[in-house]
Amino acid sequence: MTPQEEVERLIARVAMGDRAAFTKLYDRTSAKLFGVCLRVLNDRAEAEEVLQEVFVTVWNKADTYRVNGYSPMTWLITITRNRAVDRRRALKRPPEPIDTADLLPDGKPGPEASAVAASDARRITQCLDELPRARAHLVRRAYLDGDSYADLAEATGVNLNTIRTWLRRSLIALRECLSR
Amino acid sequence: MSDKTNPPEGPEEDEPRVLAAEYALGLLPNDERVAFEARMAEDQALRDEVAAWDATFAELIDDVEEVPPSPQLRKRLEARLFGARRPSIWQQVWPYALGGIAAAVVLWFAATSGVLVTDDEAVRADLVAELAATPDGEGLDLRANVDTTRGAVQILRSAGDPPEGRVFELWLIAGNNAPVSLGLLDGDGDTVIDLPQDLLASLPGAVLAISDEPPGGSPTGAPTGAVRAAGPLTAS
Repeated sequence: MTPQEEVERLIARVAMGDRAAFTKLYDRTSAKLFGVCLRVLNDRAEAEEVLQEVFVTVWNKADTYRVNGYSPMTWLITITRNRAVDRRRALKRPPEPIDTADLLPDGKPGPEASAVAASDARRITQCLDELPRARAHLVRRAYLDGDSYADLAEATGVNLNTIRTWLRRSLIALRECLSR
Repeated sequence: MSDKTNPPEGPEEDEPRVLAAEYALGLLPNDERVAFEARMAEDQALRDEVAAWDATFAELIDDVEEVPPSPQLRKRLEARLFGARRPSIWQQVWPYALGGIAAAVVLWFAATSGVLVTDDEAVRADLVAELAATPDGEGLDLRANVDTTRGAVQILRSAGDPPEGRVFELWLIAGNNAPVSLGLLDGDGDTVIDLPQDLLASLPGAVLAISDEPPGGSPTGAPTGAVRAAGPLTAS
């Protein structure tokens, strides 16, 4: 059984109210999901609050994810990331500054990044590597850190409309790359 | 690659896809998000597009370092979901209540003690509750019959006794209200308790719960011992 299949089987048992399966699911996935919370919130106490809410949702809604066509890990990660981002926004945390040198429009993947990319089978990283490095960085910030357009504008000192235009173009290019 | 080499933002077929990506990232301004959700509710293809973006972005999580949360978190979580040694009555009772019982504890108690009656007048039940044993109440088998015309509840106990030196107390939890004591159960056999008139209207859908208390009943007006059994009242 692959880890993916195991998580799927555990969620199916959680949906039937199996507490032992819930505990096992927690043990299998909590470190990864807590890492996601910490990445977004950068605060252990807040991250633990969010993680707790996530698992309460998992216990109560374990029977619903398939309906929307999610794989089990995508479902868990998406709930966690979105909850953490909601919490971060509620706390009104200022964004980490982005070095404007990173935003040079002609930024290309460095040799190191290329080497990593070559050995990385994930489509998302391959496609991000086709973007100018700074644009890829903005997409990562939006997803992994939960920055809003306003956060990214503040972090870079770039006008909000410009930021949105950059992001949207990057997303169109990503979509095109992903569908190849 | 300069901006000019990027695909133009424009032809209409790109628009929903970009919105789906912005939605998945949580980037849409509020009004646009609401409008997009309305569109999404009607459009399976759009929901699929969002799900596909969620799955794609989730791959980025491989780069995030795994960090084990503190061991206490699991205990807190299990206590919250399954009840710990001394959880609040809300946590103990919620699986038995179909309606939402708020987690907030209301700090007032309408301590209306039921009057214990020992006569065996027949109860014509129009509301009943199966009081399912909680993990603390294993072996208990209780059923409640409520006669709203007469204003009385009869508790039938076919198995289970309170711990040594304790008594069973019956509680009514209506909606989000604090538990109201209805009285103590007799040492053995069945108990009939008269119900205060003002509680009768709140009975359908309310939860009956049994806790164990010191002799004479809870000294505080709220349950102090473990909840041993609970169940919602439904029409018979």
